[in-house]
Amino acid sequence: MKSVMVFTWAGRAASFAVAACVIWIWQMVANSGAISPLFLPGPDKAWASLQRGFASGVLLRQTFGTLQHMFFGWLVASVLAIVLGSMIGMYPTARRAVTPLLEFLRPLPASAVIPLAIAFMGLSNGMATFVIAFGTLWPMLLSTIHGFSSVEPRLYEVARALNIGRLETIRKIVLPSALPDILAGMRISVTSALILSVVCEMIAGLDGLGHYIMVSARLYRSPDLFAGVMLLGAIGYLSSLVVTMAENRLLRWRHRGH
Amino acid sequence: MTEAPKFAFASATLALGGKTILQNITFDIAAGDFVCIIGASGCGKTTALRLAAGLYQPTTGEVRLDSHPMTAPRPDVAIVFQDYGKALLPWRTATGNISLAMEAGGVPKAERGDRIAELLTLVGLSGQGEKYPGEMSGGMQQRLQIARCLAQNPSVLLMDEPFGALDAMTRQGLQDEVLELVARSGTTVIFVTHDLEEAIYLGDRVIGLLPHPGRVGIDVPVRLSRPRDQLTTREDPEFLRLRRELFDFIKGSEA
Amino acid sequence: MTATGRLNWLGMILPLALVLGLELWLRTAGIVTDILAPPSQVIVALIGGLLNGTILAATLKTLTGAFGGLLIGGSLGMLLGIVFAVVPVIDRAMEVTVEALRPIPSVALLPVALMVFGFGYGMEFAIVGKSCFFLMLILTRSAVRGVEPRLREVARALRLSRAATTWKIILPASLPRLFVAFRLAASLSLVISITIEIAVNPQGLGYAIMTAQQALRPDLMLAYFVWIGLVGLCLNAGLLLAQRTLFGRAALTEEAR
Repeated sequence: MKSVMVFTWAGRAASFAVAACVIWIWQMVANSGAISPLFLPGPDKAWASLQRGFASGVLLRQTFGTLQHMFFGWLVASVLAIVLGSMIGMYPTARRAVTPLLEFLRPLPASAVIPLAIAFMGLSNGMATFVIAFGTLWPMLLSTIHGFSSVEPRLYEVARALNIGRLETIRKIVLPSALPDILAGMRISVTSALILSVVCEMIAGLDGLGHYIMVSARLYRSPDLFAGVMLLGAIGYLSSLVVTMAENRLLRWRHRGH
Repeated sequence: MTEAPKFAFASATLALGGKTILQNITFDIAAGDFVCIIGASGCGKTTALRLAAGLYQPTTGEVRLDSHPMTAPRPDVAIVFQDYGKALLPWRTATGNISLAMEAGGVPKAERGDRIAELLTLVGLSGQGEKYPGEMSGGMQQRLQIARCLAQNPSVLLMDEPFGALDAMTRQGLQDEVLELVARSGTTVIFVTHDLEEAIYLGDRVIGLLPHPGRVGIDVPVRLSRPRDQLTTREDPEFLRLRRELFDFIKGSEA
Repeated sequence: MTATGRLNWLGMILPLALVLGLELWLRTAGIVTDILAPPSQVIVALIGGLLNGTILAATLKTLTGAFGGLLIGGSLGMLLGIVFAVVPVIDRAMEVTVEALRPIPSVALLPVALMVFGFGYGMEFAIVGKSCFFLMLILTRSAVRGVEPRLREVARALRLSRAATTWKIILPASLPRLFVAFRLAASLSLVISITIEIAVNPQGLGYAIMTAQQALRPDLMLAYFVWIGLVGLCLNAGLLLAQRTLFGRAALTEEAR
């Protein structure tokens, strides 16, 4: 037990040391001038740009813009997925009616809908919300349908034996049963929501980090570009962390015992 | 005139998808009786229990409780399923699972806590109320399911091979606990099992079903004194005689 | 179309109703718009594009970008995934670095790639490669780690060297899951390459659909939309078929999560 603990801590420390080494090498390469600073600014310059950006409020606004796009699109898709998914999942006939359409839409690259969305809504925030909702809906919907259609049949018998009404059965048995699948779909979709936000901001010039890094690249302001990329990495990391934590909290019963 | 039976199968026949599963099942059960149903696999004993629970409706004939036909599940008839792992809500603690039966029965929230604690103690799970089913052993999960059924205050308890998946020691312990619970409350029990010894050990009466289609083939009283004892009861000559009789019945039904 | 292999007639109603409804609505209302076209015109545009070769040429460019990136990034990711799984010390040491780089959305690197490579295949290889690299790395690692422990014990009992164990036991045992990883990476590569083309890179299907929209040719835009859907569907179906033929149902268990 103890040796495992030591290994874990030593491993964690070594892991951070390696990451620090990578940053140091990046700094050395940048300092040496082997690669033009136009393409590769050192971590010091990127960090300084990050600080400057937040001090002036520019990066804060762009970060907020990206988070807003992600969140609204994802929210719309989540609500739709749960409402439609529950109806489709609980009725086999409905499932048979929509499966082929879903099978066609699922592998469709979500970004292909961008031109259609632009045609309908122009270069607006509504367009971004639509694209993100469209792109994240299918994985969530399929996962939700799976959750609602695979409720343990024995639990329906328990509900009947206990004389639990239809609505109560849905609330107390079907919904909690489907929750792990619903949450898994929502977790997977967060990543695509971020990617699609960035793309929409780039194309439509909407307020957000996607637009910010594109403009920085065009103006050859590479420290700003790297600061934006780092920030997007942080958003990617933190957003899936938050969703995973919420998932673990809601599904506590899964992680205890065997 | 004897009093009306607690529970009655009256020429109950069940056909599912054009196939007759149960044919002309007829027997009465007196209040407080412990009746075991045995039979080779595929004889429809589990289906008979679902008829008794009101989960299925007979195609012809009737299943009556207190002289009223069972047309739907009733709160005073509780069923313990064999697969406890599937019949418990994994996202609710032991307390929450027992509470489910009370919510269904409309018991006010304030009254649930004490009753749940009482039931947990009754089935030997005191202090385990905050555990999730996933954290419990098979024996504990089945105790929990029994507690949930007792929360319905049933006058009839239906048990579908409840101990089939448990190891021998746990099974014997639970057999004695169920006998004790039932003796105290006077509940009528219909107990389905494929274990002949278990049927004789627990029952006041053993009914054997014949397969394809399921019908009553044998109905024998068990004249063994109570309380029963895992060692002496099982060595009683009457126990051995019954075991022989039922063993021959099962052998004969498969031939 | 269904799991049973029978044609699901019920499932055909919804798509057909959508198509016919759109056709009838646009025809009867006499709407002429630059954002929608009746499905009949879309089909005409699609056939026209296929006949004059523009659609196929664009498809070829997109697939080259996708598979080039898949080949570069995917194989590197698989290699490193195997190393990480077989030598836990390296895995442990690289954890923070990998977890810091992985969440960077691939498209965030678009401007960087644009500065370094300019337009063309280079940027597509780089960004598709980044996506496939991390996906393959993670999936390969868990595939190799998921090899039945009993097999590892067999290898130890037979006194196989680490290289021989990897080559003779671990890789063959994890092959079905490795193919699943490859399949997912291939689907992702198509998605990413089209995204890049829509966003900046002036080539392939993504650029073509964008141009059709800007040229106010809704029939052509929708034709490309349908075509992109078909390409995605065929790629997916083809890989699934290959997986079933090669590994049977064994590999399907991986899909749940």
